[in-house]
Amino acid sequence: MTLNLCVLTQNRIVWDSEVKEIILSTNSGQIGVLPNHAPIATAVDIDILKIRLNNQWLTMALMGGFARIGNNEITILVNDAEKNSDIDPQEAEQTLEIAEANLRKAEGKRQTIEANLALRRARTRVEALNTI
Amino acid sequence: MAMAVFRREGRRLLPSIAARPIAAIRSPLSSDQEEGLLGVRSISTQVVRNRMKSVKNIQKITKAMKMVAASKLRAVQGRAENSRGLWQPFTALLGDNPSIDVKKSVVVTLSSDKGLCGGINSTVVKVSRALYKLNSGPEKEVQFVIVGEKAKAIMFRDSKNDIVLSVTELNKNPLNYAQVSVLADDILKNVEFDALRIVYNKFHSVVAFLPTVSTVLSPEIIEKESEVGGKLGELDSYEIEGGETKGEILQNLAEFQFSCVMFNAVLENACSEMGARMSAMDSSSRNAGEMLDRLTLTYNRTRQASITTELIEIISGASALEAAK
Repeated sequence: MTLNLCVLTQNRIVWDSEVKEIILSTNSGQIGVLPNHAPIATAVDIDILKIRLNNQWLTMALMGGFARIGNNEITILVNDAEKNSDIDPQEAEQTLEIAEANLRKAEGKRQTIEANLALRRARTRVEALNTI
Repeated sequence: MAMAVFRREGRRLLPSIAARPIAAIRSPLSSDQEEGLLGVRSISTQVVRNRMKSVKNIQKITKAMKMVAASKLRAVQGRAENSRGLWQPFTALLGDNPSIDVKKSVVVTLSSDKGLCGGINSTVVKVSRALYKLNSGPEKEVQFVIVGEKAKAIMFRDSKNDIVLSVTELNKNPLNYAQVSVLADDILKNVEFDALRIVYNKFHSVVAFLPTVSTVLSPEIIEKESEVGGKLGELDSYEIEGGETKGEILQNLAEFQFSCVMFNAVLENACSEMGARMSAMDSSSRNAGEMLDRLTLTYNRTRQASITTELIEIISGASALEAAK
């Protein structure tokens, strides 16, 4: 029994095939999904998604969204998603530094929140490269 | 021999006189002056030539507009198809309920900013008005949010009081999700609603665009309906995780659903606009071509008629001289 995983963003379909297991990050922690999981609708955090195909793990950086798990079908809708093979290490590090600098410079509640989100996004991308 | 030519030309002279009444309506006053100069009852070749030049220019312009619309269509079509996958899971989870009975509905009308795109804007406005009538009644109210110049112009005339928000020039920059999510955010903040109905033209193919209504419900209604049962009742079977309360997640979900559905609707409407403009400009250039053919015939007849009159004058002059001798 395999799970059918669909990762969609507004502009394209990032992933649409069968997997053996996934590890998803939600607001209340990481959940691992195996075949025949109970139906769940959950919000997805800005964090990494790990996919296992036949003893090989693949990592993807997700930028927040929703996930629906039911009947061995997983649908993840996110604002943006990048496979770790598509991320350029240099560029990710640079984005992280810029985000950190912006956070230090930020004034006012709104700028701080935005800078925080940008920092989390940049950190996720760097983490996706570092895991495996 | 000259008389034989005259007889042949005479038959052709009659149709040119018959064509004159139609041409007279179209030609400006200058044709009357030309008639005086020629001394014959016919429009001058100059006038017909001017008309032919302007019709040819129009044909060139409409052909160019058609090609521009075709290339823009190619660009947007791919994105519209990709964005379709986004709202389908929402419909699978929450269902699309156009017939739901709510107190406050908001109709979001999507239209184009530029004209010359066939009848798509008027169909969208017709559907919006029909929704208004359907949903009005005691204790129920309908408000409009208008996107696009064309619908704004039409609806401002009669439904001015019910328009809450109007947005124009959405297509100035290439469409992207961030822009649409800002718009969706605006609408959510400023308008109270129980159900949002988005009216747009769905792009089925280059020649087929159907006005469609997508319904998005507010989180409170979703909770109420899921307890009742039916399609939304399946929502209860899902355990909602990731957040403090179920209500909070449903709120986020509804907002996300709205912005995804809006994004798809805006893209589809843009595709339909390009497709409609393509077919409108295509029939325009074809009409211009036909008009050009008819004008060419008129031009030739006029030319031949003027030649004939010259001949008649010369010959009658010559024969008068001979008779005088």
